[in-house]
Amino acid sequence: MLSCGMRRSLPWAELALAALLAGCAPGGGRPVQSAAGAPRYFGSVRPPRGDVLRFNNGAEPETIDPALVSGQPDGRLARALFEGLATSDPRTLEPHPGQAARWETSADGLTWTFHLRPGLVWSDGVPLTALDFVWSWLRVLSPATAARNAGLLYAIAGAEGFNRGAVTDPSHVGLAAPDDTTLVVRLASPVPYLLQLAAYPTWLPVPRHAVERWGARWTRPGHLVSNGAFVLERWRQNDRFELVRNPRYRGAARVRLDRIVAYSVDDLSTSSNLYQSGRIDWNTSGYVPSPFVPHLRDKADFRSAPFQAVYFYSMNVTRRPFDDVRVRRALNLAVDREAIARDLLKGTRAPWGRLTPQGYPGYPAPPPLGHDPARAREALAQAGFPGGRGFPRISILFSTSEDHRRIAEAVQAMWTKELGIPVELRNMEWGSTLQAMTTLQYDVARRSWIGDYLDPGTFLEIMRGGDGNNRTGWSDARYDRLLLAARGEADPAARLRLLGRAEALLLADGPVIPIYHYSTVELVKPYVRGIWSNALDTHPLEEVWIDHAWRPGTERRAAELTAMPAAERRHGPMSERMVPLLGHRAMQAPRPPAPAADAASRWAHRP
Amino acid sequence: MTRYVVRRLLLFLPTLWVIATLTFFLMRLAPGGPFNAEREIPQAARAALAQRYGLDRPLAVQYLTFIAGAARLDFGPSYKFPTRQVREIILEGFPVSAELGGWALLVALLAGIPLGIIAAQRRNTAADTAVMAVALAGVSVPGFVLGPLLVLAFSLGLPWLPPALWEGPQSRVLPVLTLAAAYVAYVARLTRAGMLEVLRQDFIRTARAKGLPERVVVLKHALRLGLLPVLSYLGPAAAAIIMGSLVVEQVFAVPGLGRYLVQGAFNRDYTLVMGVVLFYAAFLMALNLLVDLAYAWLDPRVELK
Repeated sequence: MLSCGMRRSLPWAELALAALLAGCAPGGGRPVQSAAGAPRYFGSVRPPRGDVLRFNNGAEPETIDPALVSGQPDGRLARALFEGLATSDPRTLEPHPGQAARWETSADGLTWTFHLRPGLVWSDGVPLTALDFVWSWLRVLSPATAARNAGLLYAIAGAEGFNRGAVTDPSHVGLAAPDDTTLVVRLASPVPYLLQLAAYPTWLPVPRHAVERWGARWTRPGHLVSNGAFVLERWRQNDRFELVRNPRYRGAARVRLDRIVAYSVDDLSTSSNLYQSGRIDWNTSGYVPSPFVPHLRDKADFRSAPFQAVYFYSMNVTRRPFDDVRVRRALNLAVDREAIARDLLKGTRAPWGRLTPQGYPGYPAPPPLGHDPARAREALAQAGFPGGRGFPRISILFSTSEDHRRIAEAVQAMWTKELGIPVELRNMEWGSTLQAMTTLQYDVARRSWIGDYLDPGTFLEIMRGGDGNNRTGWSDARYDRLLLAARGEADPAARLRLLGRAEALLLADGPVIPIYHYSTVELVKPYVRGIWSNALDTHPLEEVWIDHAWRPGTERRAAELTAMPAAERRHGPMSERMVPLLGHRAMQAPRPPAPAADAASRWAHRP
Repeated sequence: MTRYVVRRLLLFLPTLWVIATLTFFLMRLAPGGPFNAEREIPQAARAALAQRYGLDRPLAVQYLTFIAGAARLDFGPSYKFPTRQVREIILEGFPVSAELGGWALLVALLAGIPLGIIAAQRRNTAADTAVMAVALAGVSVPGFVLGPLLVLAFSLGLPWLPPALWEGPQSRVLPVLTLAAAYVAYVARLTRAGMLEVLRQDFIRTARAKGLPERVVVLKHALRLGLLPVLSYLGPAAAAIIMGSLVVEQVFAVPGLGRYLVQGAFNRDYTLVMGVVLFYAAFLMALNLLVDLAYAWLDPRVELK
């Protein structure tokens, strides 16, 4: 899960932003090109000298060890340095051969055989074999590694038991390397999205010889050996990473960037200033201050797309009166998501009535929760609180952020007005909020969840009874049975139907009050090619290049004809601005942007 | 003199020990721990982490281990940035903060002292009022407002200077000015007050009576004593300006040490907070000692005992 990357909005940082807005908001900036009809950009559009990509990677990564990576900034670097079995298409996220040239699946979907490309080497020339993958994955699963995302490998037979310490013999994990280029993976149950999963950083191979030689410090420049398109040259904390091309990368001839400079700037305004002044070419999603967005929407270098994450409230069912499903329903029905999205968020985000986001082809999503104050009052009366009489005082817990506060105030007002119940707000710093949620010391809490791979399971699994991320005390045997049945279902369509039924049950009876759907919001200079908006906000940097032929006004045409990279050629020219998600329609809200606070929750789940 | 210094240095140790102890237990009182995250980690992994960092042992043992480590200037790895030792983080961040703070302090003194002298010499004139008004503004405008305003003017409006990042001499200008502004104001006010005090004294009248030019009276005779308030302010100011520049470091993306203190506390990064707090405390005490020594040197009436 993209959970970390510590983006923290300190109170003064918000004040600073407010101070900046008066003059510095993009609307006040001078467009580089203001000729009638010509596209206008946010700030300088002079390309860098040479084939260099400079971007803000966001908050300082905790680590770039693929096994331990959990934050988005961390993962972006891990993916630039390492390559897994498959890579994902920068636009559609569909898997392409990576270190594996091809693969096949057994009829029951339980055995996957990957054939590595011959002659693979690490950046120091040491050969890379199927055993490297086996060793790397066992390392993730070993309890001593304490990998947060080890659960992403539980698809492998025996992996869960090994990770939990129940089994100590690694030969019980379903991994085998019959020869140097063949890797056989046995699964616990059919996983139709295995290749999606395998593109996640946790599945990347790591160099055993470097890890064993340097221990925890193997990721430092000079020690780090990689197999991806780039190698690490420099890492200065809270400042930058510099990556240079890896001449031993299997696709080195295709890589067009010589160097990547990834800055670790965690302040949103600072990041946007760097972009505006032309010192970075790409202001990644989550680092565009939300008050800028209305002014930026019409710029040609502004991009937004639905992002696989949902903002929601959860209820602690171990406390009265949330143990009563009628109370949970009443609270859900009394929330006017449309009003929050329209009035509070100014249409920058889409109201959302489900736990799973949009964009899963074939997923029979249940109807979203709606707004119905009359039925809400009825449900509350049935629960024994007619007109809210006798209802205990409840509190909404949220971590420090202006956006969370405004939404909490709105929900407070809705519940008080529609249901007549007493509601108070409870604001704490992030670490304390998290602790209160984990130990179930709350009534209603603000949360968000980001999907790891394109599958509704990545959302629904968190509400399984006893799951560490459940944090509501809610557990329903029917729900758990549906998820279990879905896990064992070999037919992908039938599997999605089971998940759809599970979500319907969750929405009807569960502890979740969905509020809105996230979106990516980023700024990309027009001369940068190969960066596409997608639902996971992942951008393979080996596909990126600097178009030195670009001139203001010429736009994409000339460049497309002369030099279109492979990924673009496959799909034909297409506007980079609005990319449909896996062939589905983009969300209804026109280019919904993420607010400043999103950055926090997005990278850190924490505004 | 030597005895004085030795005694002061010896006093550092119990002070640092008290600070270390307080910090240690206050950090543990904060809810949650370093390994909490929105995504829950499996029990086995949590146990492995706790064991790796010794967090599974009794608090007393943890405390003793920590004190023993601190005595050897070894705070262990940061919990949040596990590939880095706390010592490394301090050694990498401090020079940057010191450079930023050093320049800012220099600017503050070079601008503040002359302004203060001018204001004192021409007190109750328009010049005095103007200097003090500017000083008041400097004190009142916080860095998180001044910084973005300077960026707006000199990076985005007039594209003269980089808006952030720590690369090349040009990148120093805006952060240094932002950080210096408040201190210029303080220094000017303190200089003015100190000079007014001294200019009233008998030996100044004597100097004037001898027929010395006013320039010599002010710069040679009055300034030395008039600067004493500035000097006593300098110790804490240097510490604050060097370690407390977190706002400026944030606004200008300067990779200094200031941010770690706050970030570390938020992250429950026990080792990092300990390391930075103790480093800061030692630094502050050392600066205060230097100030006391300088005091004795500037003012013959002060005796070090």
